[in-house]
Amino acid sequence: MKTLGTDYTKALVPATAADISCAQQSTFDWLASRFPLDQDPLAKLSTSAIVRREDLHEVVQALRDTPEFAYDMLIDIIGIDYLNYPGHQGPRFAVTYLFKSMRFAAHRFQLKVLVDEEDLVVPSLHDLFHIANWAEREVWDLFGIRFEGHPNMKRLLNHFEFVGHPLRKDYPAQKRQWLSTNDPLLDQLEARLRENGMELIDPIPLNTPAVEDVIKGSRR
Amino acid sequence: MSAEIENSPVPQQEAATLPFLTTSLDAVINWGRSNSLWPFPFATACCAIEFMSLMSARYDFARFGTEFMRFTPRQSDLLMIMGTVTYKQAPILRRIYEQMSAPRWVIAVGACASSGGFYDSYCTVPGIDHIIPVDVFIAGCPPRPEAYIEAAVQLQEKIKDESFLTERLARLRDRGEDLPS
Ligand code: SF4
Repeated sequence: MKTLGTDYTKALVPATAADISCAQQSTFDWLASRFPLDQDPLAKLSTSAIVRREDLHEVVQALRDTPEFAYDMLIDIIGIDYLNYPGHQGPRFAVTYLFKSMRFAAHRFQLKVLVDEEDLVVPSLHDLFHIANWAEREVWDLFGIRFEGHPNMKRLLNHFEFVGHPLRKDYPAQKRQWLSTNDPLLDQLEARLRENGMELIDPIPLNTPAVEDVIKGSRR
Repeated sequence: MSAEIENSPVPQQEAATLPFLTTSLDAVINWGRSNSLWPFPFATACCAIEFMSLMSARYDFARFGTEFMRFTPRQSDLLMIMGTVTYKQAPILRRIYEQMSAPRWVIAVGACASSGGFYDSYCTVPGIDHIIPVDVFIAGCPPRPEAYIEAAVQLQEKIKDESFLTERLARLRDRGEDLPS
């Protein structure tokens, strides 16, 4: 069996399920020797670690920068609401991070942070992975979990007038919300154009409307 | 217009040789309007793919007078909504409709635009008739190009039933002008 650190980029051998679980176990053991960790009892198909919120940034940095692991790709950040989940105990929310290595095909790892309903804050990873910027905004939008240190904690998918966080289990799925104006979404584009030395002759007003505008209705 | 010629006070034999014909204003205006619809494609999802084949040579929508796509609402009088409309999109659609000048007609293409389709969720408008008035709905997911053509023909029939003069009278009355009834 190929073990941790097998460089698949040279041989073009696809990783088997056995390789993957072997690599996960080694990663878990390595992390457990350095950080306080729990194994996730709900992860049935893989070995996944529950880390403490305050360790998250350090753990991810270690996974990314240790050459024999090289978890250099953050695939996604996923929010989970465990309300009414059968057999679940503990905090209501969780945030899951999926990592992959672009060097070692068998290296896939999953980290989880439990988040209490009273204190919905998780440290942001945007400084380690650029993709975390939007992924965290998405989790904020859909679950209402805030990411501390994030440079632009705005909704990603829903409209800025939208109230609530629709993927929470207690959000009524059929509840409709009428919106009064369009959401130009150009703030980042304009910022990037400026960064590249462009001058905007007619910038679109940013979508941080005055409260009166939202109440009055469409800003035409 | 042949009906008008038949009913005209001039004997038919004679009318055929005259260098003019008589008809009603509504008939002429509706004839022009119904045969020169300029569509504005509001394409948000997969139904628009079918629209592409409709516009290209095989189905050739231009045969029905819908010759040009106009990508500005100010130059078009037929708004075709093809695809799923979300609540985030709804104010944009509403504004585009308001930018079109009268006369204007709307076709809702496909299950999504007509009823929200299978997206029964927090983010999808359950039918664009919640936002703007719709003249013709097309069923299907997506509808075949023939269905688009049928909708266009039905819309033309509908336009031929409208009365420019009655509408104008109603507009003037709305404005508060004192008119004989
Ligand atoms: S009706 Fe069907 S084909 Fe048309 S936009 Fe909706 S899902 Fe796509």
